Amino acid sequence: MIKHGFLVRRYIVTVLLAVLILATPCYAKEIKVNYRLKWLFNTSVAGDLYADEQGYFKEAGLMVNIKEGSPEKNAINELELGYANFGVASADQVIRALDKGAKIYVIAQLFQVNPMQWIYRTDQPEIKTLQDLRGRKIGVTFGGNDETIMNTLFAKAGITKNDVIITGVRFDFTPFLKRKVDVWPVYRNSQGVILENKLAREGEAVYFFNPADFGVNFVANSVITSETMLKKKPEIVEKFLGALLKGWEAAMNPENKKIALEIVKKLDKGNNDEIRRHQLIATRDLIKPFSALKIGTIKANAWKQTEHIMLKEKLIKKSVNIETRLIQVK
Amino acid sequence: MLFKRIYQFLIVYTISILFLLMIKMVLSLSDYVIPGVPLIIETAGQVFKTYFFDVMNTLSITVLGQFMSIIMAFTVGIAGRKSSWIGSFIKVTAYNIQAYPIVALAPIIFILLGDGFISRLLIASMICYFPLLLSVLGIMATPVEDVEHFYIVTGQMRWQLEVKIRAFENLSKLTTVISGSATLAMAGTIVAEFIAANAGIGYSIRIALYQSDLAKILIALFVIGIIISMYQGVLETIGEQIKTKWSVSNQGEVI
Repeated sequence: MIKHGFLVRRYIVTVLLAVLILATPCYAKEIKVNYRLKWLFNTSVAGDLYADEQGYFKEAGLMVNIKEGSPEKNAINELELGYANFGVASADQVIRALDKGAKIYVIAQLFQVNPMQWIYRTDQPEIKTLQDLRGRKIGVTFGGNDETIMNTLFAKAGITKNDVIITGVRFDFTPFLKRKVDVWPVYRNSQGVILENKLAREGEAVYFFNPADFGVNFVANSVITSETMLKKKPEIVEKFLGALLKGWEAAMNPENKKIALEIVKKLDKGNNDEIRRHQLIATRDLIKPFSALKIGTIKANAWKQTEHIMLKEKLIKKSVNIETRLIQVK
Repeated sequence: MLFKRIYQFLIVYTISILFLLMIKMVLSLSDYVIPGVPLIIETAGQVFKTYFFDVMNTLSITVLGQFMSIIMAFTVGIAGRKSSWIGSFIKVTAYNIQAYPIVALAPIIFILLGDGFISRLLIASMICYFPLLLSVLGIMATPVEDVEHFYIVTGQMRWQLEVKIRAFENLSKLTTVISGSATLAMAGTIVAEFIAANAGIGYSIRIALYQSDLAKILIALFVIGIIISMYQGVLETIGEQIKTKWSVSNQGEVI
């Protein structure tokens, strides 16, 4: 009896040890990484969520904590303070930070076309040239990058502030819906889709005014990391980026549309299925405008133009030599 | 009183800046995260004047909003001081409504009234109204029996006299509450501007936040601190003067 009890205990201990031995390496291998997004969980971050949900990060030996962004949360601050290892920031944020001595690098450019565009109703004349902006009631977010972009367009067209009516805007669309503002700034793939849908239900159609069509390529969201991370842990950077871009490629593949939408739906409670479907299509056009393009490609010329615009607008004091901060990880 | 408040603020502000600079130094942070002294000074040179006028703009709304709140709080407080059913009803309603976070209503106010002057004024006055009302109700509903007894037994008691006695006996408390509510009114106005207005220091802070410019935010906080300290100091001085003058005039009557 005693011998039987001893054997049972020995069996249990052996099984527990085996489980422990088998389980330990798989957790020990996974390196914890914090990734701070720029905006809320919605279709704009489909690729980030896809990489996580489909286990691409895990396959790369990483345990990635994807943190939702907001206007008040800044990935660059978090990189410096050590709360995040990777983050998403817009080009103007990156350039401003470099101007103030931040030690960061851009390792991938997610949006090839800036989603910051302007929406206006089709019952108004189409903006075919920049001169067509004259006399319009245009909304800008004072202090936001849309203000910088619009100022650049005005400068390019020789338009002064007296030629247009500028109104400061926020997240509330009411002034646009009430026609107090004609041309309203939106993120083409998120708010743009929502507004387009809302107006379509009222029988109104819209146009989008894209500054890139008029030669202003102001870079949007890109993946960044700290100098320390890049120099001391390049293998983690490579693994992270590999898994992330694999996620983005998969999420933007029309064949994976259903899976991508299901993944986004779990976290984006604010929109319905139809909106999310349209948002995904709009996001695809901005992230992968043509099929041959590899997602994450850094367009150095667009970055240089962004820096030039910011210098001209006196948003930075000196050149930051942005090209030295762009690292296209293979 | 006025200078004491300014000195107190300067001490707290300086300690806070030193603390931030210590963090900057220990963690080797760039000027983007925490600006250094030269950048703060340079930014002050660029935006101090603008921010000063922004704060004055905010203060004008604050003063007006607070004035409205004081009038409303005293009107309702005086009406609700009685232990009759209407008094009890006012008290219960006030206690229940004040428990609701007024700031949460701000977006609705902005949607209905737009992002102009009225919205800022309404939010500022609503935020400082309820704490004021509760204090005024508490003061006005508590009899000063030692004094009031005489007027009641001699049949001279009128409601105006009752209010006057209770206000005079609690003048220090009322002055403190009114002075304290200035901070609330200012906070309310700044929150309103931060959420949706197109003017005032709250709006400027929001722009600075968009640009992750902590130096600008620190300058804004400095200007807000100095001006609100001055405003509170002025309110307290006025309260002291009213008390002194009231005491002297009352003494005159007695003699």
